Amino acid sequence: MTTFASESPNTGEAANADEPSSLISTLPGDYYTDPAIFALEQERVFETMWFCAVRAADLTKPGSFRTVQVGRESVIVSRARDDSVKAFLNVCRHRGARLCTDESGEVKRAFQCPYHAWTYGLDGRLIAAPNLTSMPDIDRTEYGLSRVHVREWLGYVWVCLADTPPSFEEQVMGDVIDRLGDIESIDNYAVADLGLGRRITYDVKANWKLIIENFMECYHCATIHPELTEVLPEFADGYAAQYYVGHGAVFGEQAKGFTVDGSEGFDRIPSVSAEQDRRYYAITVRPQVFVNLVPDHVILHRMFPLAHDRTVVECDWLYLPHVVGSGMDVDRSVELFHRVNQQDFDACERTQPGMSSRVYRKGGVLVPSEHHIGAFHAWLRERIGRLPVG
Amino acid sequence: MITVCRIEELPPGESLRITDGVPAPIAVFNADGTIYAVDDTCTHQDASLADGWLEGCFVECPLHTALFDLRTGMPTCAPAKTPVRTHQVSVENGHILLHISVGEPA
Ligand code: FES
Ligand code: FES
Ligand SMILES: [Fe+2]
Repeated sequence: MTTFASESPNTGEAANADEPSSLISTLPGDYYTDPAIFALEQERVFETMWFCAVRAADLTKPGSFRTVQVGRESVIVSRARDDSVKAFLNVCRHRGARLCTDESGEVKRAFQCPYHAWTYGLDGRLIAAPNLTSMPDIDRTEYGLSRVHVREWLGYVWVCLADTPPSFEEQVMGDVIDRLGDIESIDNYAVADLGLGRRITYDVKANWKLIIENFMECYHCATIHPELTEVLPEFADGYAAQYYVGHGAVFGEQAKGFTVDGSEGFDRIPSVSAEQDRRYYAITVRPQVFVNLVPDHVILHRMFPLAHDRTVVECDWLYLPHVVGSGMDVDRSVELFHRVNQQDFDACERTQPGMSSRVYRKGGVLVPSEHHIGAFHAWLRERIGRLPVG
Repeated sequence: MITVCRIEELPPGESLRITDGVPAPIAVFNADGTIYAVDDTCTHQDASLADGWLEGCFVECPLHTALFDLRTGMPTCAPAKTPVRTHQVSVENGHILLHISVGEPA
């Protein structure tokens, strides 16, 4: 176990005693710049928690696969012959070559290592290798691909690299319940039955925590999100939907739908309740998922933290199947949150360089409408066990 | 002559690798009801054809996808160039029987 000597007290309280009580401190700057801290996060956050990896419907048939970066590991997520989804570490059991170098693709019936041709079935079992029959003592399961735990929820494949995964209900569904108050509130959106209307991938030159912190607060909304604040006027007050439990921000009277120009959206997802109509809900599922719920669509972000200063975000806009199937124009609907994403990620990229400034050594401050971010910081510190020495 | 197994132990699409009582391993296939037997070792590198994929009356080598015609043992595509030997099989009293050919490869 690694412990870090640290100059700052790392207590999560005010950075210094003179600080006004309306302010609490953020994490110190090195949390956003130090590769050693990022390595701890990879090990103790991304490689131990449930991690939302792939949209299940992207794996269209047996042999379809995607590779994703989870912590320090590359993981293959693929559909097996029996249509179940499996996940494996993307490492050959012979001498460690990376099996799949493509981000996505399709194999006919096996994964074959491009080095010495060890060949693994879609269930991960070793099925062939040069001279394998003269080595009858090789157990084909034992030397098959290393399996990773999988779970499907909301139409996504979640993976967990821990030997013994935490309870999915507590970790993943728990975060949803903490925000919405109950699980029915998200079930109403029938997320798994929606179709993919648009996917946009953002390569953000910022630490993943800056992106989470940004998503959790709305103090910036009136400044950088003119279109969003137009549709959700209460955001101009700076209190994010995430500040409350079970609160959905109400659409402005002028807004016919959740679109870039306030024009009409699509049919309401039938099971969305009357109270949820014309409201916007936002949820952070730690450590790397954001979900936005509006009556006619769902926006789901998956973050892939790749380095202390680089995070890839894959964002899916999900609509009722008939909206996607009939090729309706989703542009104005997508454009609203696409702009929000660009505005937010620009802000995160603008912030990243400041993290290594000497003025940020002890961190910055959170105003009252951001204080709930302090709970995220406390959670992270505990998770990575980075406590003061002594 | 060797008794391979009872016919129901080799359902269509399945294969068996025989090593006992044979000079070199033999792969036995049930290709949609027709039983075939060929030398198990691919003529390209050392791979077991019984681990390969059956497609009609062809088997595809699991390593580098050479395709062999089970009726003749002939490879139909690269990288294998040499045929595998074929062996006679019969079904008697519900058992699959294998008659090993000892001659040169076909
Ligand atoms: S490293 Fe994969 S077969 Fe050798
Ligand atoms: S070993 Fe059969 S094709 Fe190479
Ligand atoms: Fe924002």
